[in-house]
Amino acid sequence: MAKRLEVALKPDLFDAEGESIKIQARDYFGIDLESVRLINIITIDAPLDFQQMKEIQTNIFTNPVTHISSFEPLNIEFDWAIWVGYRPGVRDTAGSTAAEAIEDYLKLPFREGDACYTSKLYCVCGKNLDRGKVALIARESLANELVQQWEVIEKSQRKLRESMGVRVPKVVLKHEPAVASISVSSDEELMKVSNERNLALNPRDIPTIRDYFLRQEVRDERIKVGLDQPTDVELEYIAQARSDHCNHNTFKGLFHYKDLSTGKTELIDNLFKTCIEDPTLEIQKKKSWVVSVLWDNAGVGRFDEQHYYTITGETHNSPSNMEAYGGSLTGIVGVYRDPMGTGLGSKLIMGMYGYCVGPREYGGDLKPRLLPRRLLDGIIRGVKDGGNKSGIPTPYGNLFFHESYLGKCLVFVTAFGIMPSRIMGRPSEKKTTSKGDLIIMAGGRVGKDGIHGVTAASEVFSESTPAGHVQIGDPYTQKKMLDFLIEARDEGLIAYITDNGGGGLSSSIGESSLLSNGCEVHLDKVPLKYAGLDPWEIWVSESQERMTVAIKPEHEKRFMELSRKHDVESTVIGTYTDSGKINILFGGKSCAYVNTQLLKSDFPQWEFEAEWASPELRGLKEPVIEEPEDHNSLLADMLSRPNIASKEWIIRQYDHEVQGGSVIKPLIGKERDVVSDAIVIRPVLTSNRGLAATQAVNPTYSTIDTYHMVAATIDEAIRRLIAVGVNLDNIAGVDNFCWPDIQYHPVSNPDGKYKAAQLVRANRALKDCCLEFGVPLLSGKDSMYIDGNLKGRYGETHKISGLPTLQFTATGVIDDIRRSVTMDAKLPGDLVYILGDTKNELGGSEYYERFGYTGLNVPKIAPNEVMPRYQALNQAVNEEVVASAHGIYRGGMGVHLAFVAMAACLGMEVDLDRVPVGEGSADDSVLYSESGGRFIVTIAPENRERFETILGNLPYACIGKVTEKPILVIQGIGRNKIVDLNISELKEVWKKTFGAMV
Amino acid sequence: MKTVKALILTGYGINCDYETDHALKIAGAESDRVHVNELIKGDEFGRRSSLTDYHLLVFDGGFSWGDDHGAGVILANRLKYNIGDQIEQFLKDGKLIIGICNGFQVLVNLGLLPGFDGDYTSRKVALTFNDCGNFRDDWVCLKTLDTPCVFTRGIEQIELPVRHGEGKIFAEEAVIKQLFDKKLVVFQYATPEGEIAEGRFPFNPNGSLRDIAGICDPTGRILGLMPHPEGYNHATNHPDWTRKKEELRRKGRSLSEEGLGIEIFRNGVRYVKGTLL
Repeated sequence: MAKRLEVALKPDLFDAEGESIKIQARDYFGIDLESVRLINIITIDAPLDFQQMKEIQTNIFTNPVTHISSFEPLNIEFDWAIWVGYRPGVRDTAGSTAAEAIEDYLKLPFREGDACYTSKLYCVCGKNLDRGKVALIARESLANELVQQWEVIEKSQRKLRESMGVRVPKVVLKHEPAVASISVSSDEELMKVSNERNLALNPRDIPTIRDYFLRQEVRDERIKVGLDQPTDVELEYIAQARSDHCNHNTFKGLFHYKDLSTGKTELIDNLFKTCIEDPTLEIQKKKSWVVSVLWDNAGVGRFDEQHYYTITGETHNSPSNMEAYGGSLTGIVGVYRDPMGTGLGSKLIMGMYGYCVGPREYGGDLKPRLLPRRLLDGIIRGVKDGGNKSGIPTPYGNLFFHESYLGKCLVFVTAFGIMPSRIMGRPSEKKTTSKGDLIIMAGGRVGKDGIHGVTAASEVFSESTPAGHVQIGDPYTQKKMLDFLIEARDEGLIAYITDNGGGGLSSSIGESSLLSNGCEVHLDKVPLKYAGLDPWEIWVSESQERMTVAIKPEHEKRFMELSRKHDVESTVIGTYTDSGKINILFGGKSCAYVNTQLLKSDFPQWEFEAEWASPELRGLKEPVIEEPEDHNSLLADMLSRPNIASKEWIIRQYDHEVQGGSVIKPLIGKERDVVSDAIVIRPVLTSNRGLAATQAVNPTYSTIDTYHMVAATIDEAIRRLIAVGVNLDNIAGVDNFCWPDIQYHPVSNPDGKYKAAQLVRANRALKDCCLEFGVPLLSGKDSMYIDGNLKGRYGETHKISGLPTLQFTATGVIDDIRRSVTMDAKLPGDLVYILGDTKNELGGSEYYERFGYTGLNVPKIAPNEVMPRYQALNQAVNEEVVASAHGIYRGGMGVHLAFVAMAACLGMEVDLDRVPVGEGSADDSVLYSESGGRFIVTIAPENRERFETILGNLPYACIGKVTEKPILVIQGIGRNKIVDLNISELKEVWKKTFGAMV
Repeated sequence: MKTVKALILTGYGINCDYETDHALKIAGAESDRVHVNELIKGDEFGRRSSLTDYHLLVFDGGFSWGDDHGAGVILANRLKYNIGDQIEQFLKDGKLIIGICNGFQVLVNLGLLPGFDGDYTSRKVALTFNDCGNFRDDWVCLKTLDTPCVFTRGIEQIELPVRHGEGKIFAEEAVIKQLFDKKLVVFQYATPEGEIAEGRFPFNPNGSLRDIAGICDPTGRILGLMPHPEGYNHATNHPDWTRKKEELRRKGRSLSEEGLGIEIFRNGVRYVKGTLL
């Protein structure tokens, strides 16, 4: 019988967690609670005697200074109580650590099936509460029914209160694992199986799959190992590997592109190859620091002679949309396995995040699965726990609000690693598997969680999307594994390493066995969380925190020794062979037996109709706006807009300094509160070399032209690095595309052809910009289907497609960090310069969005025009002529001048008459146009001559100076002061939007 | 010449080991990162480490056991019930211990702090959840008080980063009073002007009683603090370094490279050199 231990803070102690729930109830639902106090429940399902229970209560779970605890229900007052516990099989890390602690303390290993479980009881007091209100808090803010169960208890329900936490959420599968054979006698039959099993097979793939299994020589070989028709293991495997998520069928598709204005048609075969792979290889030839691209889990660039950095970016949209906390946590923890699985393994040095979500205060008719506030709070918290508990700094990120993301939120996660360029004499960027190598699974165990993750990510979200793929990542288990693998790497024990993410073992082993040309895997050796999994489930499960490693047999002893030292489970589950076959066995019998090359064989290319209707053709026009009269209020309002306002609350809850190498932090300035253009770290502590990183996202430009959206986004990311002192020649990028479904369907996706054309144009811009800027793509990912079907006010359903989005991450090595600069103006009297032309480009801008306009004049980038500026500014920075440098991004010059002044807590006097402008400019377009290629630079007056000499005949102007008096004064074009605002008041406005958030 | 040897604990979610190692090396120590299990049963892994080989033991920062069931609690238990005797001997030998952030949480859970009247096992002080209700990364100003602490000699005030969710010092009033009476409060959170924070957020980032940020034992050889001295190992760690650099540049001067947090470790190294070698 399980025992339940209740632990709570002593009554006179402030309950900070309870307090935040109180605040949340008011923020989310307008419900006032008087108090919330929390009881942590630990349910111990292990045969311990009274004495042992007493001991662990006192010595482990109760802090005598702060806690009270009891095996009986604690007598904490409540009007209503809410109990929240995990569903069976959901990762309960605190439960596992409780078990570890008990085992260690009692020196008594738990038996199979013994476990601890944790749950929480929230004791709520308040007037005017009823079951409905309390259930609302439980359902919409404390528990997520996908992963948790909850109960609302009224004061009078004593029995119910006493029973909380006694029940054990143990997984019991009364199921005898078996292999099923599936008939492939007709296409229709296979399609039916695909639908029934949620395989999400593409109808086009079905004949290829059937053809393979019906081929005579294949059948002959299969019969020899006791197989005939394909098994469920095989079909599940193929479905995973062929999913759009794993195979990028969309990007590799054939596009019939037609420009509707000119009538011109083109055939584009494979966007990935033509727009990503080819340009990257071309750039690689010119840049010796591009070490390894396009094949491994992350790209590899040279940091210095002894070190390489690794970088990759991922998205975790679908799971986060369903369970925000677990989804984003799993996302960040998951992407950290990519650098670990790159080359012979790199140590994680940094993570970044990007969130695109519906407006936090959304109050419209659409009903997203999670309340937008809750979704955002959950996503933020997931990355916090994932990053902080991994001991990896999370210094940079984006948050962008737009109603189109109500259908599906976007969660970008980026990871950076570092590795020695050689490990025991071997080049660290290379790895392979060979015949005889042992296949090892290290880290967590396999459960039913995470089954069909990749296929779900390849679908539009609907209410019937299976929730089995929603997981809760476990940074603690992974941290132990990462520490272990770095040590094993340094001893030269690793031949090959890759992570188990999408597709699980089927993907990691499937891909790695292509190198040796075969493998033999015994699924019954795979350690399971609980018995009763079918072989196919073991093969494709996406249970987290696992890596697949190949080692030479002679290294087995040492590898296992280190594994035990780090308290990590590692198991030999098979060997690599050169048989040409992926041979998967269960109970000694083959349950999958396919050619290693099967998935490389001729599956039909996906095809798309793409029709481009230009902005003019779509009737987009510039709005007719007369010059505003009250520029003071306008600027203040611009600063308070959610996409501009301070997001300090997110940045501060992320550890952005662990590992000790922080050089330029995310928050800059005298009061350390204005966001930096980029961050800089010193990943090798003994060196003064640095790595800068940043990212950009500009989805609203997609409403005009995705070509310019991509160009502007790449330019922004590059410019952000230039601003902190990176040389353009050192910059590398990572492209993360998130796109709505582009497959035309007259009913369910009537604008599919347009969306496909948007994708083509976006990729062209990517190619053009990378080639012209000379920026190689070290890594990248695409995530399609950012659509959702949401219920409206009357129960009708609306398809909501997210704006076509590119998040571009840029990184680059800085030779000497001591020369890097920050964006805050430094001293009064310094001169303020604008670099670059301000054109009348308000299309898709924050300014137009303020009035509900789209406009037509989207910012356009000509790399060849702006690059000399970037080089000149870099030279000035290197000569230490520049006091501060800041790019002009969303919101335009007005907003960004304010940032430079606000960061310094100094004033500024500038004159718009002096700003280099394009045609048709007025005060509002100069202040709020989002033209690319521009910077605000401040310099000491004595550096004027040198600075202007470096800039030569580039477009620039000195537009004013920094002032001691903290007032921002802007003279309009041909007129007097149009802006006259106190900097601290302006800052207050900018901070107020999310000012209540902690 | 004899060297000062420092042991930096690793494993089970501890994560500040590399930079702490780096900081100690700058401070002149010979330091090793040692896994908890190498101290407990190193024979099984081909490398047994013993505390007797070291002069300075560092419980560095991180999330041991994910901070589940109270930050530092499980690691403290693991150490207490496996190598409690080694730690006891280490103290008897007059050696030094510093616990930073999660390490400080371990020290109070072991009872090594506050160590009133030679009692190194009772839990009297707790580090509990920040009043602000969340993890917080920020830089704080610290005022150093007059104490027997060997790590803070010559340091009157210092700025360091804090990065924690459970850093609020809590104890019964009588215990807090004793901490002050016995001169064991090493650091208090302060304003940039050097005034005691008096609970004001964000100067006091966690609501710590009486603004306490770090304490030592009566011998002054054990220090626990929430801020991270190893996080200020280089001048460029400081949030204002670009401003300072620009101001100095205009006076014809330049920024010195070392981070001021190193001084805390250097004091430890000096003490060992002067007393134990």
